[in-house]
Amino acid sequence: MVEINSKEKFKHLDKLGPMILQCISCGDCREATDYSSDPPKSGVCVSRDHTVGFEPFFGRGKMQIIRSLWQGKLELSKDLAEVIYQCPICNACSEACAYDMDNATIYEALRAELVDAGCGLEAHIPMNNALIDLLNPYQRNNKEKDNWLQNLGFKVKRAQEDKADILYFVGCTAALTPEIQSVAISTAKVLHKLGVDFAVFGEKEVCCGSVAKRTGDLNAFNSVAIKNYELFKNSGIKKIITSCAGCYRTLKVDYKNYLDDLNIEVLHTIEFLDKFIKDHEINLKKLEMTTTYHDPCHTGRNAGVSPLYEEPRRLLSKITDLIEMKTIKESAKCCGAGGGVKKGFPELALEIAKSRIREAEETGAEYIVSICPFCYRNLLDAIKESKSNLKMIDLLELIDRAIS
Amino acid sequence: MATLDKAYKEIEGIIGSKYITEKDFMKAAYSRNVDPAFPDRWADMIVKPVSSEDVSEIVKIANKFKIPMVPRGGGADLVGGSVTQGGILIDLTRMNNILHINEDNYYCEVEAGITWGALVSRLHDKGLTTGVLGPGSGFSATIGGGLSNSTAGFGSTKYGVVPDICLGVEVVLPNPQGTIIRTGAAANKYAEPFCRYGVAPDFTGLFMGDVGTMGIKTKAFLKLFPVTPFKAQRYYILNKNDYNKVYELLHRLRAEVRDGLHDVLVVPLITMQLLASLVENKPNKRPRLKGPIFSILVEAMDERILDVYLEQVENIMKEDAREFEMQEVDLDATLSRDWKFNLKYAYNYFNKYISVAPPKISCTTCHKVPISAIPDVAEKSNQFDIKYKSEFPLGSISLFATVIFLMPNGNCVIVGGFNADNIDEQRETSMKMWHKKLRLQVRYGGVHYWLGEAISQSIVEADAYTPDFIQFFKNMKKSVDPNFLLSPNKFHMYNYEDEMSRYIVKEE
Repeated sequence: MVEINSKEKFKHLDKLGPMILQCISCGDCREATDYSSDPPKSGVCVSRDHTVGFEPFFGRGKMQIIRSLWQGKLELSKDLAEVIYQCPICNACSEACAYDMDNATIYEALRAELVDAGCGLEAHIPMNNALIDLLNPYQRNNKEKDNWLQNLGFKVKRAQEDKADILYFVGCTAALTPEIQSVAISTAKVLHKLGVDFAVFGEKEVCCGSVAKRTGDLNAFNSVAIKNYELFKNSGIKKIITSCAGCYRTLKVDYKNYLDDLNIEVLHTIEFLDKFIKDHEINLKKLEMTTTYHDPCHTGRNAGVSPLYEEPRRLLSKITDLIEMKTIKESAKCCGAGGGVKKGFPELALEIAKSRIREAEETGAEYIVSICPFCYRNLLDAIKESKSNLKMIDLLELIDRAIS
Repeated sequence: MATLDKAYKEIEGIIGSKYITEKDFMKAAYSRNVDPAFPDRWADMIVKPVSSEDVSEIVKIANKFKIPMVPRGGGADLVGGSVTQGGILIDLTRMNNILHINEDNYYCEVEAGITWGALVSRLHDKGLTTGVLGPGSGFSATIGGGLSNSTAGFGSTKYGVVPDICLGVEVVLPNPQGTIIRTGAAANKYAEPFCRYGVAPDFTGLFMGDVGTMGIKTKAFLKLFPVTPFKAQRYYILNKNDYNKVYELLHRLRAEVRDGLHDVLVVPLITMQLLASLVENKPNKRPRLKGPIFSILVEAMDERILDVYLEQVENIMKEDAREFEMQEVDLDATLSRDWKFNLKYAYNYFNKYISVAPPKISCTTCHKVPISAIPDVAEKSNQFDIKYKSEFPLGSISLFATVIFLMPNGNCVIVGGFNADNIDEQRETSMKMWHKKLRLQVRYGGVHYWLGEAISQSIVEADAYTPDFIQFFKNMKKSVDPNFLLSPNKFHMYNYEDEMSRYIVKEE
């Protein structure tokens, strides 16, 4: 064995302690198809299912690689990165693991090691650099984050100037993607209709850094996290709601220490509305449509101790006829966009999404509904690519229609 | 061009560049399985064929360049069976299709790389089952792996071991021609693969429990059964820690409840105490555990018959045991009367007992003994552990059995071993003690079945095989593998000329 000081060489893995050696290699993260579980499991790893499927494409192989690195038997390389980044970090492997390994955290640490060693994916570099330079990963002028606010027909408070009970953290995807701005617009309209006192940062909103965290660029992540901390602190806000699953997970889980310090509560908009509508006995109009619901990984398996499985379903069932897919909740198949896959391996992301669309089509529903603009974008691409008759829609858009 | 490079290019030409790799990180990912004792072993290349014809071509190329091969299914192997130092590692998981489910005649035809979980789930949709549901690692283990290891598992008390449900296989022989043959009824090219015996000698048996030494299984034909609709689970705890009583009760259960028994497991007292100490949600007041726990699962086609079985069980157990609930030690456990079958229950053994406290992993064995021998082998095993206490890896716990389960007729499987840290510094000590304990088990008449490297070698070391048997084995292997390329090292067989008696260990 090559003598190396792993603790010095792999500082991100070192932070995880003994966890990195705890995989016994049983391989349940490879497939674990189980008709009898509730909900049923139909395979585990979407990455393995849509690639050549050698061991490094799913959990066990990655864990063996990490052990080999840690024990000085293997070196970080660009070749390795090519495979490690073909994973949306949906954490279905963790769900299948009998030992409750937190695979997502371990994979993110490995990616941080790859980036530090100069082996990160080339495709991610401009995206993460744009976070630092432009405050969004889409390499766009951040002023464009104001665009969706122009045609609302009512004024929205600016959190940096006006006091409000709630900050609506829009997220870069909904703010900067014309096809998906409807998520932001619907959210604002719903909050306005319900008389909720809220504000946004608009062009001053800084990316939460999710893409940087998932792809291992902690320099970029820390850069925006610090800016957000200052923004939140200066605004005096005590509650943040967001309609983006990626922002939700990042703010709720990855910013936990920051936000606990500021005594700020983070909720997904759906979580907030589920309670608000119940508490205020708001009547929702029944929409004559059939829907199926796609669980974003960031509000499910990756959401920490309180995944949002029931809240969206409660609302969706009230306003539409919900028909569930075969794999749902903790067993739900990922859309394939996360973890930098959409940017690094767009064809893989699309293939995974097409598979999810086929699963949705089997329900016979007219609409596939989600609560994540990034899932929205990838699933919409898959609908177009596969010429599906399904229609993609965000739950907020439906709630907007259901509130008279 | 070096030999390996030439072979690589030729295989690449057959299966495509996507499905062959020699990258270091790929080799590292395939370097170990579920055991703490083996060192990392890196294959020269890893291939993922998609058909019997692909496998056949790979075998031809391996023969041309005299490169060893090891087949690999789910890779949940515990004894070094599906890794290789050098050579070609053949990952068969791409061959995972169900080719035919014959509902009229109760059999199916599958590719060997499908997992038990996937097959059982598909069958369930049609109201069918394989009876024995494969090994405890059934969520990741493949049908081919189960057959190669003559595996027992959930359902074995009633349905026997995995080869008992096998009606035949399609195998690629490791000879220079890469010959593909079918066994069982399928040896008759006009017949469907609906039964095993007849047509020819039972050549299926040649490939059962062969740990990948005789051929590469690419397809399997399996018996099916209708799902039995009524199942019930009961626990009993013995009034004292007495293995004579365990034997008596197993004998009576077998004699009196017969086909009603689906699974009978005995969890030894010490294992139960260990598990009880590890549960998260402990009751304030815990019971005094005095003896082993019997876990008895009965099944019937009619609920009234199920009740009769439960009554029979109660009558057998009541004198020496009381009904027990896992909730007595674990508040999160399900009450017996609320129990419902699910695959997690069938496959929980693997994760529950192989590593009760990761990263420690068990150097585990499953071996069969006659049920009447349980008291004697328990004593011998415990004496061994005491005698060699200082030679076990630091901090390890050795158990005679983590669980015992009843098989058809009068034998049982004893699952036991010791645990060790999954670190390089401990591997040599672990391997040495593992072999020593395995030799003890072989010498008291234990019959191991998943053999891999560690166990197959220990059987040779214990001098269990007669010279005539070894010669027969070599002759049989030579007839299918003349260049000695498939799964070397197992059974301490490194070539056909080597004298295996030199591996016999005489001490103990």
